[in-house]
Amino acid sequence: MKNSTLAVLVFALFGISSTVSADVPMKSWGKPNLQGNWDFRTITPFQRPASFADKEFLTADEIEEYETAVKNSRAARATAEFDGEYDQQDLDVGYDQFYLDQGTTMSSTMRTSQLVYPENGRMPAMTDRGRETAGYFRALQRRAPEGPEDRNTYDRCILGFNAGPPMRSGAYNNMMKLVQTEDYIVIQTEMVNDHRVIPTNGGEALPSNMRLWKGDSRGEWDGDTFVVTTTNFNHLSRFNGTGENMTLTESFTRLDDDRLEYRWTVEDPEIYTDKYTSVVELQLTDADLFEYACHEANYAMPLMLSGARKQEAAGIEDDTWLPSWSR
Amino acid sequence: MSDTNSITMRDELLPKSYSFHLANLVFWKTMSLLLLGVLITSCSPAPTSPNETSSELASSIEVNEPPDLSGIWQALNTAHWDVEGHTARGMPVTNILGAYGVMQAGTSVVVGDEIPYLPEMRAQQESNQADWANLDPAAKCYIPGIPRQTYMPAPFQILQTDSEIFIAYQWGSNSRSIFMDRPGTSAPIPSWMGYSLGRWEGDTLVVDVSSQMSDTWFDAAGNYHSDELHVEERYSLIDDNHIEYEATITDPKVFREPWTIRMPLYRRIENDARILEFKCVEFAEDLLYEHLRKDYEGPRALDGSIPENPV
Repeated sequence: MKNSTLAVLVFALFGISSTVSADVPMKSWGKPNLQGNWDFRTITPFQRPASFADKEFLTADEIEEYETAVKNSRAARATAEFDGEYDQQDLDVGYDQFYLDQGTTMSSTMRTSQLVYPENGRMPAMTDRGRETAGYFRALQRRAPEGPEDRNTYDRCILGFNAGPPMRSGAYNNMMKLVQTEDYIVIQTEMVNDHRVIPTNGGEALPSNMRLWKGDSRGEWDGDTFVVTTTNFNHLSRFNGTGENMTLTESFTRLDDDRLEYRWTVEDPEIYTDKYTSVVELQLTDADLFEYACHEANYAMPLMLSGARKQEAAGIEDDTWLPSWSR
Repeated sequence: MSDTNSITMRDELLPKSYSFHLANLVFWKTMSLLLLGVLITSCSPAPTSPNETSSELASSIEVNEPPDLSGIWQALNTAHWDVEGHTARGMPVTNILGAYGVMQAGTSVVVGDEIPYLPEMRAQQESNQADWANLDPAAKCYIPGIPRQTYMPAPFQILQTDSEIFIAYQWGSNSRSIFMDRPGTSAPIPSWMGYSLGRWEGDTLVVDVSSQMSDTWFDAAGNYHSDELHVEERYSLIDDNHIEYEATITDPKVFREPWTIRMPLYRRIENDARILEFKCVEFAEDLLYEHLRKDYEGPRALDGSIPENPV
C-alpha cells in the first residue's frame, strides 16, 4: 500500500475533510502536496499561431498532428546541410538540435497556446513607453559590448531565460523543484541554479526601495491553490520586456498524482496595454535537477568582450551582436 | 517564525518516498501508532473533536520524530577569511575603504587549531594566499562548496521535509538538496555543491557530501583541497537558537589525516528575518572582466595586477 493511500485512509478515519480530489496527494497539515520535481517543457506555442485563428482548444487528433509536425520539423533540421538558413541560426544561438530539450508534447491543457488572456491568445500591444524601452535594450545588445553590463541578464548568468519569474518553457533546463513545508514553499529552478523562498502566510512586502532581480515573492493559499504575488523587480529584470513596476501573480494547483496547473498573470500598465495570462500543466518527474553552474563556466562572456575589443582594435564597427532568436 | 522559537518536533507524518529506509521505518512506526490509536479511540467514548484526537496521538509519538532544524541560521565568525587562527590583516583596498578593507581577526575553527596538511602541500596554500585577490573562487562569485558555503557571511534557511532537507543560502543565491531517502546513491557528475546524502544519528543530522569540484577553497586564506574531498557534516540542535555545526574533511591527496571544523550556527531571531537576494555575479564582473572593458586604461584588479586567465 502506498503511503499516500494510507494517508487518505488515516485522514478519512479521523474525519478530516478535504476540498480537493481524492487523487491529489495531501500534506499532513491539510494542504495539497506540491513538493516534487516538475517538468515544464511543452511545445504548446506561447502565443496562438495564426493557423489556429479563433480556436482555443485542440482535439486529441489535432494534438497528435501538431506534435508529429514538430518532430518532423526537428528531424529535418537535425539532418539539414549546413549551408542554409538553419545553420546561421545554429551559429547565432550556439546550439544545434542535439543540445535543445524543448519537449515533444503539447501541454495537457489541450489549448492552442499557453496564453489564455487576452482571449485571442496573443500578447497585448506595448505602450509607447514599452516600445521605447524595448528599443533601447535591443540597440544596446546589437552593438559590440563595451562591458558585461551591455549583454542581457542571461548572458551574464544573473537570470535564466526560462526561469523568470515566471517560469516558461524554453530551449533546455525546463525543470523546477518545489520543496514544501507548512510555512514556506521553495521554487528552485534548474536554469541558472536559482531559488525563491516564499512564505505561505502572505509574508511582509519589502519597501519599494528594495528591488530584486527576481522580485519579492509572497504566497498564500486560496483554498487548495497556492497563489504567489511578486513585486519589487529591478529595472533590469525585464521579463518579456516588463518594467520594475510589474506585478506577477502565479498560482499552483495540484490536479492529480502527476500534474500541476501553473497559471500566471503579468500586469504592467506602463509597458503593456493589457494584462496577460498563461496556463500550462506541468508533469511530475523522477529526474533530478542538475546544478546549472552558469556563471562558473561562463567562458562566453570574456570571449565576447575579447572579440569586441579585437573588432575595435581593427576598426570594425559591428551592429550584428543581437542573436537571431532576438531579432 | 511560527515553528522556530523552540525545539519543535516535526509535524509532517507522511513521508513522500516509498523506498525502504530509516525514514520509512519511522513512518511505519508512526502509522502503526496512529492506527492503534484509531482502534483504541473507536473503543473509547467519542472524542470531542477529530482534531483533539489527532493532537493527543501526535503528542504520544513525538519521541520518534527528529528535531526540527527549520529556520534561518548564520555563522558569526571569520572562518570565511581563514579557518585557522589569524590576526587582522588589510586587504589591497585599504587605500579606498580604509578600516573597512580589513579581514577581521578570529580564532581557529579547526579542532586542534591547525589543518594537518601533508608536508609538501602547505606551500600551495601559501601560494594561493599570496595571490588571493586573483584566485579566490568565492571572490569571483563561484559557488563556495561545502563547508565554506555554511560560514560565508550571510544567512541561510533550512527547510526540512522527510524526503529532503533543502538549504537556501543568501550568498550567491545558492542552494542544495540533502537527500534523506536515497542512501547509497552517488552523483552522476561532480558539482560545485557536491552530492549530499543525509541521515539522522539520534538527534544529529549527518550529511555525507561527495563529488565536489576540486576548484573550491575552504576560505580566503587559500586553504584548498583536491578532487578526492569528502566532507561529513553534523548538525546538532543544542538549544532553541543554536546549532553545533561540524564538518570533517577527508582528502588523502592533501591532508595527512581527516580534520574537523566546529562552530555554532545562530538562529536569526528577528521577526522579519528572511533570506534576501545576493546575486554576486554583478559584483564580480569588475574583477573578472575589467581588463576587457572598452577604453580599459590599465590594471584595476584588487591587487593591481592584470588577471591573465580570470575564468
